[in-house]
Amino acid sequence: MQAFWSSVSFRIALVYGALIVVTLAVISGIFYYGTVVGPANAMDQKLVVSEQRLSRHFLGNGLPALRSEVGQLLADGIDQDTEVYLLLDPAGHKLAGNLDRWPAPADLGFDTLTTEQVLRYGKPSLSRLVWHRLPDGAVLAVGNDTHYQQAVEKLVWRSLLIGGGTALLLAIAGALLFRRQIGRSIGRIRRTAMEIQAGDLSRRIPVGSTRDEFALLSHDINAMLDRIEHLMDGVRHVSNTIAHNLRTPLARIRSRLDEMLRQGTGAGTADAVHSAIQEIDSLTMIFEKLLQIAEAESGARRQSFEVTPLAAVVADVTELYDAMADTCDTRLVSEVRGGPHVLGDKDLLCEALANLVENSIKYAGRSSAISISAAEEDGRMVLTVEDRGPGIPADFLGRVTQRFYRGNTEVPGSGLGLSIVTAIAQLHRGSLQLQSLNPGLRARIVLPRPAGEAANPADSIL
Amino acid sequence: MQCLVIEDEAQTAAYVRKGLEEHGHRVTLCADGEAGLRLIRDRAWDIIVLDRMLPDDIDGLSLLKALRDGGGQTPVLVLSALGSLDERVRGLRSGGDDYLTKPFALAELLARIEALTRRYQPGAEVRELKVADLSMDLVKRKVTRAGRPVLLQPREFRLLEYLVRHQGQVVTRSMLLEAVWDIHFSPGTNVVDVQISRLRSKVDGGFTPSLLHTIRGVGFMLRDPA
Repeated sequence: MQAFWSSVSFRIALVYGALIVVTLAVISGIFYYGTVVGPANAMDQKLVVSEQRLSRHFLGNGLPALRSEVGQLLADGIDQDTEVYLLLDPAGHKLAGNLDRWPAPADLGFDTLTTEQVLRYGKPSLSRLVWHRLPDGAVLAVGNDTHYQQAVEKLVWRSLLIGGGTALLLAIAGALLFRRQIGRSIGRIRRTAMEIQAGDLSRRIPVGSTRDEFALLSHDINAMLDRIEHLMDGVRHVSNTIAHNLRTPLARIRSRLDEMLRQGTGAGTADAVHSAIQEIDSLTMIFEKLLQIAEAESGARRQSFEVTPLAAVVADVTELYDAMADTCDTRLVSEVRGGPHVLGDKDLLCEALANLVENSIKYAGRSSAISISAAEEDGRMVLTVEDRGPGIPADFLGRVTQRFYRGNTEVPGSGLGLSIVTAIAQLHRGSLQLQSLNPGLRARIVLPRPAGEAANPADSIL
Repeated sequence: MQCLVIEDEAQTAAYVRKGLEEHGHRVTLCADGEAGLRLIRDRAWDIIVLDRMLPDDIDGLSLLKALRDGGGQTPVLVLSALGSLDERVRGLRSGGDDYLTKPFALAELLARIEALTRRYQPGAEVRELKVADLSMDLVKRKVTRAGRPVLLQPREFRLLEYLVRHQGQVVTRSMLLEAVWDIHFSPGTNVVDVQISRLRSKVDGGFTPSLLHTIRGVGFMLRDPA
């Protein structure tokens, strides 16, 4: 129910439906009043007037005169099929009138209008009657058979019901149609947004030839995306230009130094040249890593993602580093529980895991064990590297992923490793989580399940 | 070997030419795609070194595609300042056999060129590889030296196999990472050196002569010094 209520289109449809119901009620009320209530009241009025006139006739001319008056009214052919007259003597016997059966006068309320079942000209009739007790005890009744009114009332009710029912069904159908229409339009926008999020900046919202509000919104968003893509292209162009323009001079310097070496120089110069070459190489590496982080953050790599079993990532990285761990007298223990897999890039995932393992080997100290594992936890896929070395002090945990931050400057490193791991984790829509184990560090790369295994969010209920 | 170098940057071109000529190869330079295509059509080459960013209309990758579409099988090593994995994959998919980013060490270039040209020599399916008194049975996955068995883990066997297949050639760290471990990033630490050390202790430890050499600043080589 919560889901329904939070849906805008449902709320609009509900309000729209309520308005229809109210309008219908008002119209029906007016109509009913005009066709049923009004005429009934007018009829009542007429009866009272008629009764009063006959009473005055009695007062003026006596009971026999009234009797013959009643007889005349019944015989005059006016209102023959609806009029009701009844004159009773003080003892309750019928003196004149067209009723054959009537409610006992003792049960009657006088001078009030009631609707009774009576026998009129021998036939049953539901009649509207007013009873009056004349001064000498005689009873006069004036009334009207209501079968016309009943017929009209029945007709009105039936039409209101049918009309109302139809209107309600149309309202519901309209609301559902409205919801579907909105859902489709919004769904189109959301789907395109998801494709763009996944890394394909070239997508645009498909727009038909209509000029409605959604079409205008889509046009605006598409224009915005054009601008963004243009900017991204600019950035990419700059990156590529930087790559070309910075690497080329670096290449030239390196090649000159290389030449010097090969041409043969004194030992001292050779050493200097070697270290200069090393500096250039490490500069190049830093530069590569920065570009890589930028590329990861742009999300463009997502387009070439494939389903990657994490067991392979763990196995490859563990194998690569086992010799190095041996030299530090450290053991690498790997464990894979189940068959965790993600949608991603195997090379990048290996690189991220390798960075974590390298850090542990570098900082965890000798004679220890480093655990490398992959498993599914709470519906997410997790790569974990755990060591029992000195770890990272809790207040520094937030800073270690900053670029160039070095916690321990005695050990060689660029300070970019964890930045790369974070960028790669985020590219895979996951995150890097660091925990101090006191002693030690647990680094976890937490990644979502492959998208195909959950419902497509763009198609959920609006 | 006849090498065709298609590179528009004069300094890099000269650098490459010098390095290759010093190694006994014959080098022809050209500076744009059109001239390159003509030279490819007119003569047979053992190896083509191709820069991706070429001036005018024909860039490196389209030249490469034209070569492959025309049935040319000459090994091509692609040079580029564009180093992302994406670009690497593009270069290889367009028909390149290897991809090297600038800046590069000449030794790396030479090592990879030699590796590429070796690959193209026709030869029967080999089931045994030998260097000096080291022998590798590729079917049984067993190694012996001077008649004594050398126990290797599967990955170590692959590492040794690669070195033996490229015996006498320089093999760089990145070549090993790609070929033996299928790793396409550069680890920050000297993992490969450590792996080689461990292999060396098993293969050369207690035997003479030493077969596994480290070439400073470049890589490694397995060679019978005799």
